[in-house]
Amino acid sequence: MIEVTIQLLGFIAAALLLIIGIAGMVFLDNIIKKIIAFTLLSDGVNILLVAIGYIEGGVVPILLPGMSTVEFTTHAALVFPVGIVLTNIVIGVSTTAILVALAIMLYRRYGTLKASVVLKGERR
Amino acid sequence: MTTIPSNLWSIPLIVAIPLLAAIVVNALYDKRAIRYISIISALLTLGISIISPYGYHWFTGHPAFDPTTFTFTFDPGIPGFRLSLEFFFGPMQQIMIVISSLILVFCVIMATSGLTKHQGPYLAMIFLLFASAAIIIMVNDLYHLWIAVEIGSLIVVGVVVGSGTSISHKAALKYAYFSAICGSGLAIALALLLGITGFPNVSDVVRVINIFGVGGMETILYISFGFFILSWMYAGGLAPLHPLKSEVYGASYPHATAVLQAQSKLMLVAIGIIMLRIFGTLPFVKEVMIFLSIITMMLGVVIALLQIDFRWIIAYLIISHSGLVTLGIALGTKEGIIGGIFQAVNDIIYMSVLLFCCEALYYFGGATSTRGSFGIAKKSPWLCAAVLLGAFAASGIPPFNGFQSEIILIQASINAGFPEIAVIILMVSVTTLIALLRAIYRIFLKPPENEVAANAQIPKSITIGTWLFIILTIIIGVYPDIALRFIVPFVEGGFLP
Amino acid sequence: MTSISTSYEKLKKFLDEFISGNGYTNIMTGYITGELQFLIFIIVLAALFRMFSFPLAIIMLILVTALALYFTPTIIGVEKENSNDLNRVLYWFLIYFAIIIAITLWGG
Repeated sequence: MIEVTIQLLGFIAAALLLIIGIAGMVFLDNIIKKIIAFTLLSDGVNILLVAIGYIEGGVVPILLPGMSTVEFTTHAALVFPVGIVLTNIVIGVSTTAILVALAIMLYRRYGTLKASVVLKGERR
Repeated sequence: MTTIPSNLWSIPLIVAIPLLAAIVVNALYDKRAIRYISIISALLTLGISIISPYGYHWFTGHPAFDPTTFTFTFDPGIPGFRLSLEFFFGPMQQIMIVISSLILVFCVIMATSGLTKHQGPYLAMIFLLFASAAIIIMVNDLYHLWIAVEIGSLIVVGVVVGSGTSISHKAALKYAYFSAICGSGLAIALALLLGITGFPNVSDVVRVINIFGVGGMETILYISFGFFILSWMYAGGLAPLHPLKSEVYGASYPHATAVLQAQSKLMLVAIGIIMLRIFGTLPFVKEVMIFLSIITMMLGVVIALLQIDFRWIIAYLIISHSGLVTLGIALGTKEGIIGGIFQAVNDIIYMSVLLFCCEALYYFGGATSTRGSFGIAKKSPWLCAAVLLGAFAASGIPPFNGFQSEIILIQASINAGFPEIAVIILMVSVTTLIALLRAIYRIFLKPPENEVAANAQIPKSITIGTWLFIILTIIIGVYPDIALRFIVPFVEGGFLP
Repeated sequence: MTSISTSYEKLKKFLDEFISGNGYTNIMTGYITGELQFLIFIIVLAALFRMFSFPLAIIMLILVTALALYFTPTIIGVEKENSNDLNRVLYWFLIYFAIIIAITLWGG
């Protein structure tokens, strides 16, 4: 029997979000829906990263006054995923902004948001 | 110049000068001053990358522990865990950055001598593109690798949008869309590697995997490789993403494409070498990389034959020759990696020659279609000579530089036990010549049937840039050691000291 | 299965269509060279499967040669599949990803 921990629940949530995100990006035809699916994918990645850095009974990786070094090194959560998550949120926002801006430009030109119409292949 | 074990002054400058230039030219928007500011910044970057010594720059992290003296040290010679986010500037990084910044200089001069009106944001994008390329070739940690790939891909989108046509908007949206998928994929790969090893530094990750093993987590490592290779395919435009990447190359202005292709070659080399270091010992990893490279080479060159526009022919040939670069790295032998990196250097140079010639055609009223025949050889014989020499260099004809790297790649593939790959490399070179000569004959050599601008004035910057790069192709072709003495120590020294 | 003569006829028909359709086009040389190049490329690629196992390479070689000759001219199909349509690229992207993961997991 697998023990249900918060970390495992985090991994499950991340996997669900990743699968829903990728499926949405691939199978939905509307460009805005594809962009929404991307935000789900990005959140899935964030949860995966946070779950990897999780430690049972861990503390924030900042050496606070009155904390012994041994206690800090044994209990501090992995600091690196936090940095990546912060960056991923920023990059996610900028990617979404670019995608939406381009979608608006193309909507003005074609009058539709269907990827199969706007982004269809062309003979050059 | 020797490696120095302290924070290097030049690495922040190589990245920060383009970033600052980007901020300033973006703020100035359409003032005349942006021309001088951007040219000076590009020249400054070139100068710093030429005179810089070799060494590291560390961000955050803890120094490695020296067991002999019981102290912490940043000395890269100590084989302890480094635990740091770091950049490394070595001979290979130097030649790559010098060539890219040379292209940046000419790209900036060409961009500011006409064609676009509000150049501030556009030039800012080009500077950021160079910065992302410089970061990725120097990077030795997963965090900066990921950031450089993500930012680099968003900037590519910006540069493509900057050329402002309907095709470029569509190409940009498609590329941004894949940047979303592959960037998240790289983040997952990174998260999995972090979960297995616990280290962000690539040298530490390699050490953990090779010395301590991954403790039954091989499956996770394979899945991490799968996601890693997605970002490789995406950053370099390997098959199956080649239609999108070639669209990006073809939809931008040729001078921007010169920087774009340099950036994507740098990305291919950097990510490829990091993949080889981390996953190289796993079974079937090199085979997957080899197959991906061959399919890219093959599709790129075959589709290039079917194109009817000089720009698109070059776009697909860039893709195809990216396959040559990745093939060398994928072979995994020292000879192969030397050949791959050397091919990247040569490729950046001769493709720039062709792209600059393509830029010159814009001054004849955009006569790049092979449907018409324009007889440009009579109007501008020097341009015709330049494009022919560029085509010969691209097809690996001696005494040009393409020959030197392709012969190394052919030898490497035969020595690695794959004579078939040597055949494919030869076929790619021959087909490159066919594809280019078809277009060159129609546009330049055939007696004119269509009218073009009779007395077009090609800017001096294009002429100087083209001939400078042609001279470079011949010098490297005759004396390959000029480039090889930067690349060989990097590969023979086990990539990093 | 097919024989060489029918493949030849197919190629000839393909070329005839070109000539009778639009007359001589400057792209025709590109198509013919592309077709021949592509055939050789995939045959060499099939032979390269010997790096996994020899019997697999032989099977692939026979299969690929037969299929390539049967579907001549293949270049039209290649060009069609090479479309820059977003959904088509996504489709190939997923197939590649699945194959890469499958091969590496199999190897491990």
